[in-house]
Amino acid sequence: MNREDPIFIAHRLLDEQILDCDGRRCGRVDDIELQGSPPRVSALLVGVGLYPRRLPRWLRGLARRLSGPERWGASALRIPWEEVDRIEAAVHLRGKAEEHGLGEGDDPERWMVRRLPWN
Amino acid sequence: MKIIFKIALGIIAAVGGFLDIGDLVFNTQAGALYRYDLLWAVALGTLGIAVYAEMAGRVAAVSQRPVFDVIRMRLGFGPGLVALIASTLVNVLTVAAELGGLAIVLQLLFDAPFSLFVVLAAIGLVVAVALLPFGGIERIFGYGGLLMLVFVVTAVHQHPDWGAVANGFIPSLSDSKLYLYFVVGVFAAALMPYEVHFYSSGAIEEGWTEKSLKENRLNAIIGYSLGGILAAALVVVSGYLFHPLGVEPNDLGTVALPVQGAFGETGLLLALGGMLFCVGGAAIDSSFSAAYNLAQFLGWEWGRYRGPKKAPRFTVSWLVFLFLAVLIVLTGINPVEITEYSVVFAVVALPMTYLPILLIAGDRSFMGEHVNGRVSTGLGWIYFAVIVVLAVAAIPLLLMTNGGGG
Repeated sequence: MNREDPIFIAHRLLDEQILDCDGRRCGRVDDIELQGSPPRVSALLVGVGLYPRRLPRWLRGLARRLSGPERWGASALRIPWEEVDRIEAAVHLRGKAEEHGLGEGDDPERWMVRRLPWN
Repeated sequence: MKIIFKIALGIIAAVGGFLDIGDLVFNTQAGALYRYDLLWAVALGTLGIAVYAEMAGRVAAVSQRPVFDVIRMRLGFGPGLVALIASTLVNVLTVAAELGGLAIVLQLLFDAPFSLFVVLAAIGLVVAVALLPFGGIERIFGYGGLLMLVFVVTAVHQHPDWGAVANGFIPSLSDSKLYLYFVVGVFAAALMPYEVHFYSSGAIEEGWTEKSLKENRLNAIIGYSLGGILAAALVVVSGYLFHPLGVEPNDLGTVALPVQGAFGETGLLLALGGMLFCVGGAAIDSSFSAAYNLAQFLGWEWGRYRGPKKAPRFTVSWLVFLFLAVLIVLTGINPVEITEYSVVFAVVALPMTYLPILLIAGDRSFMGEHVNGRVSTGLGWIYFAVIVVLAVAAIPLLLMTNGGGG
């Protein structure tokens, strides 16, 4: 699928797996930013900070306490639509995960597994 | 030759990922209490897992999506999260049950305290995962699990009343709550969701593509048939020996007794060896499933094939789940009891993970020409109805029968 093709965003884009240019799994499409009229997808939104808004209203307070507030650039990331290369079985980005701040949650745990023998 | 090799692989995948502590506990008890009457529930459960696994394997091979990827896509974040939490609880309980089972079997073979064997079993599994590649893990536990064939040999050797055995395959219901509880238990033990989660994630680990669909179908048909025969043999040998005596087997040691009765010490060792591999393989499968599900739902990098450095959060979660399971077993709760709870709760969580697979497998925009045909669609929805009924009935039956205690 090309970036310019019309798609059913709830069917094929929301909640989809994101891969970077090296094929690294680096998050899911947790929300979508639309702009203009008629609305067009302007960015993918990714991050733990966005989880509360995906839940029913009565759970959001609790979820915010667990996941922390929406801090843009940290727990909530904006991936401009221009950075999307193509959509296949997953959303493929043009760049590397690190360039977008994605997949960094994997780093804090790396020290724990660095010495495991099956690397 | 190639096809024989592939069939062998299918058998291994199915045996290694099918027979586990749930079948050992429920099928042996079912035989003791109701002789051959519940064989139909074994057959129904086995066909169910074949249908579900074939679909999940096909979805993974064609659309490159494992089960919890599909769940997040089709259920969305909120309901998907409910499925994730329920599945994770069930999976950790299952790992605990399998570890407890491993420790009991080890205790029957060697003389040492139970808790020591629990810890050793967990360490042994970590070592197995560390040393072997993904395919190697599947193969070792699958080949070892074939030792369970000794139960089939025992069943034949006992010369049961084959007419009565055949009669057991005709579905029958009764208004006894205990009987209905065992219908749910035997069915659910065959259709544990972690088996399918592991199978579909394993398909991605092994790089399946559309070319792997033949292998997928062989696994479903031949592999699960063999798994079903082994599961049925557990009912038959127990029904033959224990039912007339009125014995109610409440510990795992009893499972192997019919084989010992038929073939003495050698038989006992073969049976315990088979149980060790089956339950050990299931412990790996269920603990991996817990980590697969979490990572897939949240979009983390995952997989044994990536190695810990490339998938740190996945690896750490796997170790944490294993550790939690060890803690659960060490509380001293009887592993047979943990098993019953894990199986009953599994059937409650099952519809949530089954429905998304059924929807995607029938969605041409994901599956193209490999979309569900008429047979798969029909069987798929029939099983969905069956699963929903059992899921609704499971907890009330558990409470009313006091966990099968009558």
